[in-house]
Amino acid sequence: MSENAIEIINLHKRFGEVKALDGLSFTVKPGEIYGLIGPNGAGKTTTLRILATLIKPSAGSARIFGLDVEKNPDGVRRIISYLPEEAGAYKNLSGIEYLEFMAAFYFKKREEAWESVQEAARISGLGERLRDKVKTYSKGMTRRLLIARALMMKPKLAILDEPTSGLDIMHAHHIRRVIQNYVEKHGVTVLLSSHNMLEVEFLCTRVALINQGRILIEGTPDEIKSRFGVDNLEEAFMEATRSA
Amino acid sequence: MPSALGNLVKKEIKEMLRDPKILLGMVLMPLIVFPIMGAAINISTSTVEKSMKTATLAVMKLDHGPLADQLISSFKALNVSLLEIQSSPIDEAIRSLEKTNITTLIVIPPGFTENLTLGLKGELDVYAILRSISLSEGAKASAANAPISIYEKMLVYQAIKQAFPDRNPENVLDPIAVNSFVIFKGRLLNVSPEFLQGIFMSQSFGFPMVIMLLLISAMQIAATSISIEKEEKTLETLLTLPVGRLSILAGKLAGSIVVALAGAIAAIVGINFYAASIFSFVPTESVDLAALGLSLSPLAYLLLGVTMFVTIISALALAICIAVFSENVREAQSLIGPFSLIVILPSLVLMFVDIDALPLYFQVILYLMPYTHSIVASKAAFVGDYLTMLRSIAGISLFTLIVLYIAAKIFTTEKVITARLTLRKPKISQ
Repeated sequence: MSENAIEIINLHKRFGEVKALDGLSFTVKPGEIYGLIGPNGAGKTTTLRILATLIKPSAGSARIFGLDVEKNPDGVRRIISYLPEEAGAYKNLSGIEYLEFMAAFYFKKREEAWESVQEAARISGLGERLRDKVKTYSKGMTRRLLIARALMMKPKLAILDEPTSGLDIMHAHHIRRVIQNYVEKHGVTVLLSSHNMLEVEFLCTRVALINQGRILIEGTPDEIKSRFGVDNLEEAFMEATRSA
Repeated sequence: MPSALGNLVKKEIKEMLRDPKILLGMVLMPLIVFPIMGAAINISTSTVEKSMKTATLAVMKLDHGPLADQLISSFKALNVSLLEIQSSPIDEAIRSLEKTNITTLIVIPPGFTENLTLGLKGELDVYAILRSISLSEGAKASAANAPISIYEKMLVYQAIKQAFPDRNPENVLDPIAVNSFVIFKGRLLNVSPEFLQGIFMSQSFGFPMVIMLLLISAMQIAATSISIEKEEKTLETLLTLPVGRLSILAGKLAGSIVVALAGAIAAIVGINFYAASIFSFVPTESVDLAALGLSLSPLAYLLLGVTMFVTIISALALAICIAVFSENVREAQSLIGPFSLIVILPSLVLMFVDIDALPLYFQVILYLMPYTHSIVASKAAFVGDYLTMLRSIAGISLFTLIVLYIAAKIFTTEKVITARLTLRKPKISQ
């Protein structure tokens, strides 16, 4: 039996009196694009932050390619890349300097690092603008730079929190295409969260509808739609919430 | 490839020195503002001096005796720009002088020579014509004082010579000569206590001022650095990279030290220019402080270096611990503000007084503020009190270790992401 890319079992997380995750469990196979969808405060970002080793679960376990995020965070950080929601880059560095800074953590040899920077330059599609400081970039350009950063070192798992949030159609389309091509080309596993049901339907091989820290329903977009007899994931989500 | 720490430090320095707020506010501003302030004050004082030199006096001689003529001759001998006017009613003369650039009218009334000859006071009427309210105009108004004093002194010398022909008038007027010696650190110094006090004053003000400037700018830089990362969510990305959390903390500290030092050097250079400009008219006495035993010894330099290093590290770590509770730069600056008091208060107090001279309760309060130790150590360096320096280094080092431990704890837990400063809100009834 092949190893799961992600294995989350009965995950709980409390912030004081607030229960953010309440017995969350799911698995993701290698090479899948797995989507977490749900309303604000459903627990999507908390789940992604636990997997990215930023915060620790209150109970339960989370493993990435067999590595426990709590017991072996250093090992996990070597095989993942994480893109926070609405993240920025260092504004006073140029795009290329930012990519070089990031690559230096993953590659010991200068040639390997430069190769990954070149790869990121191709992914971002920003061309000569990479020589400009990040503070001159639009929101869409910054997001393209950050997606390129997240994929340039070919992580085993890319964790992307709302990768196209707040972007115009052109930039959002570019980013979706990049993610899809990258997974096809390099077999990278992607876990993403999104509010955009159309995006999730377009990109993800499997989806989990999450609310109040629990999974309401999980499956391929077609399975979920047919289970509720609806035309799209948005309607499925509304039905799932009503019947929960 | 550079090490992870080297990579982080390089990024920190680039990011901060390219930030216009930090570059302008902390590095370039002191280099520009202080010299400009000094130059402005210098121009003002030079203008006053110049206006005093160019002041033109008018003299109206109503006394026809020889001493009135002697007074006018002495003015001319002093190269005073002088206009002799004909006798006329005073108010008429003043009205006509108001139309000229003459600032002072000296009237020598009848009986001036006679009074002086009889040993009575010779009177002079001096009218200052002011055209505006300013320092330079005020200085012009007193332009007649100096030449009158010189003439007065000449009269006194003449009188002494007549009374005591075989004695030096200087010795009559100032019969005692005081030779000053000071015993300092067991050495006999041939300087006046006032001169030594001047040096002590400059040291008393200098060290606390430098430490205050350095620490406040270091705290602001470190707080800005961490809060920008939180605001832009770059910290979240950084913490998921394959690099140790303590390396990230060390990178922040090292980067902030470099930028804070650049800021401190800029401030010191700027203040030196300022001081040199405003005191440019004061004659400087060249004294070899090393020969007098008043310079720092190599050991004092070394201990002072250790003190400053430990002090800066603690200030940076403290600022990072505080800024972690902010969500953006503005919040971080507001949080840092009250903590600056533990730097400012001991600096201000110890500029004017030694800690031992304070009441015991106040000494205890000051010693509870960690940066008191740094200032005490810096002052002890000047007098070669190594024991006090070592004691102070121990004090500030203990505080530094505690703050570093807290910073490391914060960085190695999720607190670095989740910490928020929130006030408990009252519950809303349903």
